[in-house]
Amino acid sequence: MTVPLQFSTNESNAFEKKIDNSTEILHTSQENIDFVYEIDRCTKWIRSNNFQKVCLQFPDFLLPDSTEVAQRLQLALNQTIYVMGDTAYESCCVDYIAAAHVNADAIIHYGPVCFSKPSGSIPSLRIYEKKSLDLNCVKEAYVNSFSDSDETFILLLDTPYILHLDALQELFKDHNNLKIYPIDADDLKVLCSCNIVVIGENRRKIMNLNLSFKPKKLYYYDPKSDLKSIINYEQDMKVLKRRYFLIEKIKDSNTIGIVIGTLAVKNYLRIINRVKKIIQASGRKYYVISVGKPTVAKLANFLELDVYVVITCAMNEIYESSDYYKPIVTPFDIELALNPQTNDLSFSYDYNFYLPDGDISECDLENIKKMDENDVSLITGKVRCSKVEETTERSESVHAKEIALRADGTLAVNTTFGAGFLQERSWKGLEQNLGVEVPELATEGRRGIAQGYQNEK
Amino acid sequence: MVNFTVDEIRTMMDKKRNIRNMSVIAHVDHGKSTLTDSLVSKAGIIAGAKAGETRFTDTRKDEQERCITIKSTAISMFFELEDKDLVFITNPDQREKEEKGFLINLIDSPGHVDFSSEVTAALRVTDGALVVVDCVSGVCVQTETVLRQAIAERIKPILFMNKMDRALLELQLEAEELYQTFQRIVENVNVIIATYSDDSGPMGEVRVDPSKGSVGFGSGLHGWAFTLKQFAEMYSEKFKIDVVKLMNRLWGENFFNAKTKKWAKQKEADNKRSFCMYVLDPIYKIFDCIMNYKKEETEQLLKKLGVVLKHEDKEKDGKALLKVVMRTWLPAGEALLQMIAIHLPSPVVAQKYRMEMLYEGPHDDEAALAVKNCDPNGPLMMYVSKMVPTSDKGRFYAFGRVFSGKVATGMKARIMGPNYVPGKKEDLYEKAIQRTILMMGRYVEAIEDVPSGNICGLVGVDQFLVKTGTITTFKDAHNMRVMKFSVSPVVRVAVEPKNPADLPKLVEGLKRLAKSDPMVQCIIEESGEHIIAGAGELHLEICLKDLEEDHACIPIKKSDPVVSYRESVSEESNQMCLSKSPNKHNRLFMKACPMPDGLAEDIDNGDVNPRDDFKVRARYLNEKYDYDVTEARKIWCFGPDGTGPNILVDCTKGVQYLNEIKDSVVAGFQWAAKEGVLAEENLRAVRFNIYDVTLHADAIHRGGGQIIPTTRRCLYACLLTAAPRIMEPVYQCEIQCPEVAVGGIYGVLNRRRGHVFEEAQVAGTPMFVVKAYLPVNESFGFTADLRSNTGGQAFPQCVFDHWQIFPGDPLEPASKPYTIIQDIRKRKGLKEGLPDLSQYLDKL
Repeated sequence: MTVPLQFSTNESNAFEKKIDNSTEILHTSQENIDFVYEIDRCTKWIRSNNFQKVCLQFPDFLLPDSTEVAQRLQLALNQTIYVMGDTAYESCCVDYIAAAHVNADAIIHYGPVCFSKPSGSIPSLRIYEKKSLDLNCVKEAYVNSFSDSDETFILLLDTPYILHLDALQELFKDHNNLKIYPIDADDLKVLCSCNIVVIGENRRKIMNLNLSFKPKKLYYYDPKSDLKSIINYEQDMKVLKRRYFLIEKIKDSNTIGIVIGTLAVKNYLRIINRVKKIIQASGRKYYVISVGKPTVAKLANFLELDVYVVITCAMNEIYESSDYYKPIVTPFDIELALNPQTNDLSFSYDYNFYLPDGDISECDLENIKKMDENDVSLITGKVRCSKVEETTERSESVHAKEIALRADGTLAVNTTFGAGFLQERSWKGLEQNLGVEVPELATEGRRGIAQGYQNEK
Repeated sequence: MVNFTVDEIRTMMDKKRNIRNMSVIAHVDHGKSTLTDSLVSKAGIIAGAKAGETRFTDTRKDEQERCITIKSTAISMFFELEDKDLVFITNPDQREKEEKGFLINLIDSPGHVDFSSEVTAALRVTDGALVVVDCVSGVCVQTETVLRQAIAERIKPILFMNKMDRALLELQLEAEELYQTFQRIVENVNVIIATYSDDSGPMGEVRVDPSKGSVGFGSGLHGWAFTLKQFAEMYSEKFKIDVVKLMNRLWGENFFNAKTKKWAKQKEADNKRSFCMYVLDPIYKIFDCIMNYKKEETEQLLKKLGVVLKHEDKEKDGKALLKVVMRTWLPAGEALLQMIAIHLPSPVVAQKYRMEMLYEGPHDDEAALAVKNCDPNGPLMMYVSKMVPTSDKGRFYAFGRVFSGKVATGMKARIMGPNYVPGKKEDLYEKAIQRTILMMGRYVEAIEDVPSGNICGLVGVDQFLVKTGTITTFKDAHNMRVMKFSVSPVVRVAVEPKNPADLPKLVEGLKRLAKSDPMVQCIIEESGEHIIAGAGELHLEICLKDLEEDHACIPIKKSDPVVSYRESVSEESNQMCLSKSPNKHNRLFMKACPMPDGLAEDIDNGDVNPRDDFKVRARYLNEKYDYDVTEARKIWCFGPDGTGPNILVDCTKGVQYLNEIKDSVVAGFQWAAKEGVLAEENLRAVRFNIYDVTLHADAIHRGGGQIIPTTRRCLYACLLTAAPRIMEPVYQCEIQCPEVAVGGIYGVLNRRRGHVFEEAQVAGTPMFVVKAYLPVNESFGFTADLRSNTGGQAFPQCVFDHWQIFPGDPLEPASKPYTIIQDIRKRKGLKEGLPDLSQYLDKL
């Protein structure tokens, strides 16, 4: 079958197309693969549990190694191993949904992880990245900073450095007031109100640690930097201050989009329900949007939405992006802006942190009364009316059986929500404009498609 | 004690022809509040002896301490006029038959330019203005500004020459000299009046004229004042001339020869100007006798004038005696009362010609007619011009004027904010009015209801209005026109609580502050910084103090003041800018170019606005700015916020589906106009042209998601290729000082990038007025700097005037604008450096 020229592109385009890759693709040398991907440990884990269908999940930048890893595992185990590429949401979370497509009974996750509590029940094994660490530098830096302090310190190893745990323990064995933990330890609650030194370079992760555990003092040692010393971590107030702006934005909004940004973080369905309830109780309207990985273009399609709340894992950088047409907020912001009963929450990107399992249920939402009286918006400078009142008034007027003129295809009268928005648009559909525009004879126009018309070549 | 009751006032409120709503306006320090005291004391609210020192209308502690009025304050007073004075009121709409009492609602306003929004709010609800001029320093900058505003609002002025005591005691002016000074001030005032209105206008004759009694003279501090009417009355018996005729004789080129008893029109050897002879001479004599301790002569003089002193006052001498004598002889309250009652319009008279200025709706609807006739039985129309804090923290009285109908406690009314559009629901509330109250300076009195033509306060509507609004019972009523301020909030400070835990209190406080001041803006920026924007340093200082002490009640940290900038362009884009949508299937071709000079201001002033008929607008743009008519008809929108001074013009020819993406392109334009490419500041004076668009044939591939971000990118590319510039706000600064200090002024201005465009001597005084443009950014600490460089003799008044391009190319890393942009970017948490054109511009 020949495809009409109008509907296809010159195939050379596909070859010449340049892909912009922001993250550097990593190639591991053949001899290192066994070590980096811990092939032995994986085989042992699969064998001992007798898994039949095993999926391997790689982040994009490790994909080049995926075939090699899979082959080695297949060779060792003599069974088919599946490789999952192109994670639907974030590659730091285990992609249970993709694995479910092949009915997998185990997942091995490679690369950086976020340690959000998982939602799925498929057993998974995490193989971390491996990065080198100059142990003596760590020791030197530690001694320089804290040798004369008699407080207790916890040395927390980020995932790429966990392999150095034993070596470090050996090195610091004569320091009694120092404990060393890997970041994936089970009982991280000990971190609360301690002095912590994190070894790692991911500032976002360090910030999350700080927000979640509220350690007494937080320091970090960045092995990637040339400084080679322990630095006191200061909470970037910008993140917290920006909350105030977003909270105002939410209070100003009429319609809120709930964007599903994860399927892998525990309680994601319950938090969606909770957010829905809160929004509804405040008299606002919501739409739940599932568009795969959210992008600027996808979210700008919903002009009637004023704010997006994205349900995703704590490491997602979408919250920091300013490219979006409408502000992106966390469930935390919604909670603070619209639920008058929560005042003393402390901010965290991870909703599982401030909403323990029990609380996430909606029982306390029953009695969300209408938000207190009208106030002034600090963004628009206008009076903000209580939406609850507005909605109840409207439902009253529904009962009143008021008759409205329906002249121009009006769907709804006087609403500030979706249908009302459509009314505001200048273009509502194909208009005939009879008598306004003079009919013209058809003339030959451009040929080709917008990506490259013929007259442009 | 107070010689009237609330009940009496309530009775008077129905007699609309006997009401006078007036404001007192003047330059700073010309003695408004002091003069107001005379009336307040005549009403018995404060003791006569205290008048002039109490400044009863300065209700705040800081107002008393600094001796400067900050907030305008209203007070209602009841007076009776004598029969002999009543005959001077000839217009039947100016007094009710058989009624001697008059209700005067007076608003004392601040004189400092930073608070002129308070003056605007006061003028809106009054019909007449008492313009106070210090006869020593003459007509000053702010006198002119407030007078101009008054005329624009169709407020009738009367004039009062204050501080005569200084002219006599300190300057020791000769009678003739003093007359000339008065004459010049009257002329100056009339010149200003004539510039902004003419006698054939709807207000009738607006000019002030001493011989008609609409100009008063005296000293607010000493509590004495007169108009020519008082003197004419004293002499009319003696001369057997009618009072009105005599008043004409007592002013101007009228000379009397005491020997021949003949009047003349010219100065001759042995005649004397009548004003000097009959008005000033007796005053001079009293001053001379008392100040030089001529006891016997004084007694004789007092007998002659018929001044009887109280026993305890007889012992006084010098200045104290002078005060008592003058105050007994020529009581200021009496003279002022007569001026107000006779020359200022009643609401009945004033609303006839003010309605068309006040009402936005059709001039023949029910509301318009009721306002025009000041009809207490018509639908309620009330304009709330400001919010006054109550003792209950966070709550406000909505202060305003009832133009028609009646506002009553408990009645249900429609409360319409400034964004209300008839037929829509936005900014509209139907609520009960909890209470109506009477504002009495620092006290309030509850009152059952208030009929048309009066000023009052409302309880319980403050939640539904931010600063101003219209209150009505008429379902189809339009808004009363929003007030236009002569100043803009261009100076900003960021505030934060000293203790971070206090933040909710700060936010609450900011919201209260936003209400309590007619002009201040409280904003939260995207970075989460809390910003207060005001007219000038003093304004901000007061706002911050209020915030700290009254509204938030927490200690506050503040940043140094900064100004907001605007982004603009200086040339047309040097290339056709193309941006492709994320799916690469849609393309936009656009260019940016600067607007011609004056268009951005026209848009600011509303002379060109999105609601105009597009054909009319196109013709205007074509005639004034030489825009192509077809293009000018296709202005898609204004921005930011749909009204700002940037436009998007459709210059395409025959593009398919173009209308379909209009909403998306407009959304992208609003976004880009609000957050420019250089530092996310608003754009100003940029015109964007869309030249061509290619779109995917399927609607799904040319939705908002593809077009909005692309439009923004394309506009950014347009800006970057059109020689972008930043604009800064500029003050017009007027400085009054003696000649010796002028040199110092130039030095200070030069150091601060200011430039002088006018320098002139104030006629008849040794004072000079220097007018200069001064970038707002350079104005911080200007007053103090100026004082130290001129020995404290120069006093500047700065008003925002215009936006001006900051010289230098912001894309040049060594330039000053570049540094400014980097500072802003840093503050906002943006990536440092310059935006990269290749991020926004695509290739075919």
